Order: sequence, then C-alpha cells, then structure tokens
Amino acid sequence: MAVLRRAAFRSLVALTLAAPGGCAAPDGRNNTSTQVEIESLAGRSWDSVVARARGTTVLWRMWRGDASINAFVDGWVAPRLGERFGITLEAVEGQGPEIVNALVTEREAGRGRGTASLVWINGETFSQLRQERLLAGPWSGRLPNGACVDSASAFVARDFGQDPAGYESPWGTVQFALIFDTARTPRPPRTVAELAGWIHAHPGRFTHDQGFTGTTFLKGVMYALAGGVDKLQGGFDEGRYASARDTLFAWLRDLSPDFWRGGVTYPTEVAAMHRLFANGEIDFTMSYNHNEVVTKVRQGVLPPTSRALLLRDGTIANTHYVGIPFNAPNPAGAMVVADFLLSAEAQYEKQRPSVWGDGSVCARAALPAEWRARFATLDGDHLALAPDSLRRYARPEVAPEYHARLVNDWRRIIRGRER
Amino acid sequence: MTSRDRAAFLAIGLVAAPAALGGVYSVAAALGFAGAGAGDVGLSRFIAVLASAAVWRSVAWTLAIAAVATVLAAAAAVAVAVRLQASRAGRWLAVFPLAVPHVAAALAALILLGQSGLLSRMAFATGMTASPAEFPPLVYDRVGAGLVLAMAWKEFPFLALTALAVLDTRGHLFEETARTLGATAAQAFRLVTWPLLWRGLAPASVAVFAFLIGHYEMAALLGPSDPTALPVLTLERSLDPDLARRGEAHVLGLIALAICVGVVGLHQRARRAAPEAS
Repeated sequence: MAVLRRAAFRSLVALTLAAPGGCAAPDGRNNTSTQVEIESLAGRSWDSVVARARGTTVLWRMWRGDASINAFVDGWVAPRLGERFGITLEAVEGQGPEIVNALVTEREAGRGRGTASLVWINGETFSQLRQERLLAGPWSGRLPNGACVDSASAFVARDFGQDPAGYESPWGTVQFALIFDTARTPRPPRTVAELAGWIHAHPGRFTHDQGFTGTTFLKGVMYALAGGVDKLQGGFDEGRYASARDTLFAWLRDLSPDFWRGGVTYPTEVAAMHRLFANGEIDFTMSYNHNEVVTKVRQGVLPPTSRALLLRDGTIANTHYVGIPFNAPNPAGAMVVADFLLSAEAQYEKQRPSVWGDGSVCARAALPAEWRARFATLDGDHLALAPDSLRRYARPEVAPEYHARLVNDWRRIIRGRER
Repeated sequence: MTSRDRAAFLAIGLVAAPAALGGVYSVAAALGFAGAGAGDVGLSRFIAVLASAAVWRSVAWTLAIAAVATVLAAAAAVAVAVRLQASRAGRWLAVFPLAVPHVAAALAALILLGQSGLLSRMAFATGMTASPAEFPPLVYDRVGAGLVLAMAWKEFPFLALTALAVLDTRGHLFEETARTLGATAAQAFRLVTWPLLWRGLAPASVAVFAFLIGHYEMAALLGPSDPTALPVLTLERSLDPDLARRGEAHVLGLIALAICVGVVGLHQRARRAAPEAS
C-alpha cells in the first residue's frame, strides 16, 4: 500500500509539474500554431481573412463588471458580427490579472489551442503578457479600419509608455474624473491643493477605493506633487519613484485622518464608493471613465445632480486594447472583431452617453464627413465634460512598474501602517 | 485487505484527489515551479509571507472572526433545538436563512447595519443619534461586528438542522427518563441532552469554522481593509500587479489549509479523549 501511495504521489507531482516549456523561439516570438497561422494570414488579402473567419466563434475574455458595456457588446456588437461576418461572439468574464493567470495555466496544462481568441487588455497586463510571451503577433497593423486611429495622440500610440508593436489594437479611451454632487458641493475644489484644503475642512467626507480606480487617483496626485508627469516618464526609475512615493505618502499621512472612517478602512472597489456616495456617506466618488457619471445618472445609480470634475493639475487618461493570445483557437475571427470595433459606427455607438460613453480612438479628421458630424453631436451633452478641457487636462500613464509598486507600497505602508 | 476496504480506499481517493492535486500544485507554485510569475525557485515566497506583519494580523483576525461566528451560531442552534424542538413554526423560521445566498446576506447586512443603513436611519429618526455618522460603525469595522453577525446568522440554520436531527433521533427518550427520575430541566440538559448534542454538533461546527476561514464574499463586502481577511488577502495576491508576487497567494492558501487540517485534527483528538456517551 505504501509503495502504491508513493507511486501515486510521484505521478501526481509529475502531472502537476509537467509544464511544457519550449513555447518560445529564441528570437522571443512564439512558435505556436496560432502564431504560424497569423504569420500565414499576413501574406494574404484582408478579404481572405474575413472569408476564413466566416462561420467561426470568437471567445472574448473581457471585464464584465459594467451593465452598459455588457449591453453594448452582447446587444449591439455581437448581432452585427453575426449578420455581416457570420461570426458568433461570446464574451466571457476575465479581468487583466485573471487573463494572465488563465493563459499561464493553459500553457502549463499542455499543448494545443486554448479557449479565448481575443482578450481586453492594457498597461500592466500587456506588459506581463509580452514578458511571458503569451500574445501572438504582430497583427494589428493590417486592420483596414486601423487607418482612422489617432496615431498622433500620445494616449493611443503608447500604452503605459509601451509600444504596442502590433500585438494589441486600440478600441477606446477614458480619462480619470472625480464625481461630486452639485447640490451638496456647489463649489468643489479644482486643484490638488484645494482638494487637500477641502478634505481638512470636511472630515470624514472623502476617500478612495483600493482597486484600480483608487490607485489611478493616487497616481494622479503623485504626478501633481512630483511636479508633473514629465518627471516620471521615460521608463521606471527607482530613485524617482521612491521620492515621488514618499511625497505622496506624506500628503496621505497628513490628510487621511480626515478621510472617511479616519482613513482606517477603505472601500474595496469603486462600486462600493458609488454606494457610499449615493447614500450620502461621502461627498466624492471617482471613475476611470469621464462619462461614467452621465450613464450612471441616467440609470439612476447616482443622484441627478452629480457631475464629473477634472483637477487642473491633470488627470490620467489611457487607452484600452484587444490582444490575441498565443494559443487563440481563432485568430482570423479575432482580427475581424478587432477591426469591427474600430469601425466608425462601432466607435460612435460606444461613445454615446446613453450606451457607454467610452471615448473614441479615431482621429476626427480621419473620418468621413458624415461621421465627423455625428461625432460632433456627442460633444454637447450637458452632463458631460467638454472635449476641450478633457484634452487640456489629460496626462498619460507612466511605465506599469509605477502602478505595481504603488499598489503594494500603499497596501504595506498606508493601509498596513508599516514604516 | 478485503474488497470492501479496497472500495473504501478508492472512494476516499476519488474524493481526496482534486484536493491533493490542488495542494501539490499550490506547493509547486509557492516554491516557484509553476503558475504566473514562476521562477526564482526556493523559499523566498514563504519567507516574504511569513515575515509580513500584515499576514499575521490577517491570520489572527480571520481565526478570531470565524471562531466567534461559529460559537454564536452553535449557541443559537442549541438554544433553538432544545426550546423549539416541538414547534413547527420555530423549525421553519430556524431553517429559513439556509435559502439565502451568502452574497445576498452580506448585502442585506450592509443595508441594515451600514452608517447610512436602516438601523442608523431609525436611530437618527428617533433622536438616539444626532447624525447618521454618529451611529457606531458596524461594517468595514476592525472589530468585525457586522461580519460576525452576518456569518453567524447565515451558518446558524445549518447547525440548528444538525442539532434538531440529533435530538429527534436520540434526544427526548433519555431526557424524559431523566426528568421522570427527578432531574431538573437544567440537570437534564447538562447531564443528558448536552453530552448527546455536542457529539453530533461538533463535526458540523468544525465544518462551519473551516468554511468561514476560507469564505470570501462576506469578508470582502463587510470586512475592514486592515486587517485584511485571509481569503481577501489571498485573492489580492493572486491578482497582484507584480507578477512575481502572485505565488504568495499559494503560500496563503497553504496556511488556510494548515489551519483547517489542524482544527479537524484537534476535533478528532477531543472526540477520542472524551468519554463515550450513552
């Protein structure tokens, strides 16, 4: 029996550790069948890519945490892909960090194709997927609708300071904004310095969440206190990071006793912030989408007098992308979906505040006249921020290491009260 | 080994295999052999986790919350089983929370116990507090009051069902005999009912405790950000923006596993040590 048990244990260990290596060629590219397929598609016309995609299914792993986004994808994108390209789109849950874990697990589980053909990614996830060689490519340069992409914009052409290099295709832009209630706070603070004064004057009425949105708020304040985002650009630098972080944490130590619950506890996710804001426990919530306030007011989640606010020191803007995993079962279908997402009609529909309010990655000038006119009608929404001020106060993301380091240092030093 | 033994071993093996496979994978990932951010093979992840004060606060806090919630739920279950054994309505009421999903229970607790919640508004309306913010913080609080109450409420019906089943099958004959022989109600409970009850209730309580050690939803919705409940901390690490730290989630998972195995072991010892009832 003991012998049997030992043998069983050994095979169990062998089974779990049988991670197939050898997925990457020496030049850093993958040599999976997906990669081979993408390279062979590169030599053929776009029409033959579309023909190959007909009658296939594309599984898209994406963040499914917002009802408006889900409705756009399931109710608007999916039926059109079906009618025009014969593609069945299946959107399934999976945020950035989970996508990395899932693809690593699939690689360890064995050879062959995986499950997702398309993944919604950006920033640190893109950096990790590239570092772990979990993306196939390059492919995004050949999408016909990619011609509209605003390549002059620093926010679209660089993803957290990284060159997408054809391994991801942009499909939307967002900008960080604070959300306040004009009925409760008729004269809101407009700069980081004014915000600090406001927090001291209104103890218990401000906080930030522990998720991606809250970290982005902290990063924006860190830029401002460091003397501008320019000081942190050009890749990660330990010395510059440490000094910017220390300044930010000194600011937080001064202010957090006047945060909600005395800064002892923080909402887990931004959804919890919205709840506290709507219930009147705090006077500010925030969003990494400047138009979320418009959709959430229309849905009745936030009070009708809620508005978005950009701090004049600058607020962070970024672009989201789609990528094709190294083991995607259907790269041709994924490319057609990525291309359709860049079409003027999809970009317009997505940007409508009653739909999602997600910013377009297309340069207006690159669009046909009729679409330019339709996009112009979106600029005048009385709940929304003016495009001019959005552009004026937009700041780019910096290298993903800043984000990762800030998250962990905040958890340890501020949340965990370690010195 | 008889064929019956072999069948039993096979059954146990089938049940244990997924857990064993997961355990082995976790050990491999914790050592840097597998998983996202694999590499730097060795004990560095164990050292990083075990050297962290936040982890130990988390473990101690999670143990305390789970223990208090289990004790509260078990005490309520015993009280209900003994008092309401004969009452049909009482039985129905006791079992009702079993049908409520944990997430729904946590959200209900938020609506009821939050500082902008129903209790706070009632206190404000009746003049007990001058403003809703004066209401004591019962959710996201370090004491974990709201979390313990919600957990105890949610686990109580399972334990009540178990207690009722024990009493239904073995209880009243012995107790009635004791009463006929002149024991008071308190004596009958202490000498007859309790010794019968605890043997049936203890395994269920151990299961509840082990479940609460690893339970995510309620801890995430009602717990404070520091100390961070162990399951919340584990998920946080498994999705850490720093790929190299994701293996630490497996170390935390192994800690939770060790706690649960330890509690099961203690329970087995206590059972063996206690004199056989009836």
